[in-house]
Amino acid sequence: MTESEGGTVLIVDDDREVVRTYRRYLEDTYAIREAYDGEEALETIDDDVDVVLLDRLMPGASGGEVLDRIREQEYDVRVAMVTAVDPDFDIVDMGFDDYVTKPTTREELRRTVADLLSLNRHATDVREYHSLLVKAAALRDGKSSYELDENAAYAELESRLSTLEASIESEAERLTDDSRFVATLRAIDTSQRGESDG
Amino acid sequence: MAEGDARADRYALSDALPVDVDGVDPGLNVLVSGPPMSGKRQLVFDLLAPEAVPADPIVVMTTDDPAPRIRTQFDDRGVRFDQSSFRIVDATGAPGDSDPGIHRVSSPADLTGMGVAFTQAVDQMGTPDRLRLGFVSISTLLQYVDAERAFSFLHVLSRRTSAAGYLGVYSIDPTTHEDRFVNVVTSIFDASIEIREDDDGTRELRIRGLPDVAPEWTPFPH
Repeated sequence: MTESEGGTVLIVDDDREVVRTYRRYLEDTYAIREAYDGEEALETIDDDVDVVLLDRLMPGASGGEVLDRIREQEYDVRVAMVTAVDPDFDIVDMGFDDYVTKPTTREELRRTVADLLSLNRHATDVREYHSLLVKAAALRDGKSSYELDENAAYAELESRLSTLEASIESEAERLTDDSRFVATLRAIDTSQRGESDG
Repeated sequence: MAEGDARADRYALSDALPVDVDGVDPGLNVLVSGPPMSGKRQLVFDLLAPEAVPADPIVVMTTDDPAPRIRTQFDDRGVRFDQSSFRIVDATGAPGDSDPGIHRVSSPADLTGMGVAFTQAVDQMGTPDRLRLGFVSISTLLQYVDAERAFSFLHVLSRRTSAAGYLGVYSIDPTTHEDRFVNVVTSIFDASIEIREDDDGTRELRIRGLPDVAPEWTPFPH
């Protein structure tokens, strides 16, 4: 469970003015947490955080080092790097899910967070789709189609399945974007922790 | 005219199958299933490279046979190991020398790593408009990750290649998994090719999900 309906975003930047600005851009939709260096970011992050906006260059631990620690600890979280220059390296290779170039606009920042949350949802939806397919198969075992027609739980399953199927198929086109494709797989890889709370 | 163009876009299968199939549409994902030693891997490779010189770039993702063994099997088909047209994502964890045609991933449990390796293979081949992806095998993948993760990975990978207009060919040994799981995984794919073998070694094959192909058991001699 997350603190806010819209999700929880952790903003990490040593420039307090930047943190304040991002908070203003995002706080009407998301629960916001703040950290002003890498160590504080690692203290602040927990399973409720959905997205981290991580400044690349900070005194002390750099964004890359903080990212490595977040991945080591297997948080089910999407991380966007915030950088002053266009990354001349492969963000896919580095393990970031996306990046934002400073200075960013309200629109760009909001779109980045929304995109990361939507790919998280895609990963969750595919997993739920699988578990419902298994349930539906179990219900079908040994039952006639007449019995199934009369079965309210089965009807509800079928209806949820078609909703999920429409939703995950509509996301498919976006997977040709390499960083989105890889970030979606990472969300599947890291999903174990989030599983227990539902 | 439009129909002619659509047909020209199709992936030719030549005589890989004992049934007359001109070709399949771009974006198709097909599952090849059969018991051990039934020749399903051979069929996967025949579908990727039906002609001695393959028409399309090929990526083979492997979780069991390491890259050199995959190459040996393609070697027989006359496939040139040109890194512009043939790449292997080797997730077996087998060590090997650095080779631009091979993208190594430490383990099939590293789904992200397999995804990264696939995108790198495609990027370094110049992001071609056409490509055939082979995945061997789902059964091995399931020894490393739970069914839900395996399903999710296969769903995302197959939709990614489908969106790009690529052909995907995956293999599974249904005798090592519960029927229910096999049925659920099969639902990811547009088409399936089942192989079965009698005690006397007679081999048959059945295709489902391809337009204009009857889902009937057909002799498939070795």
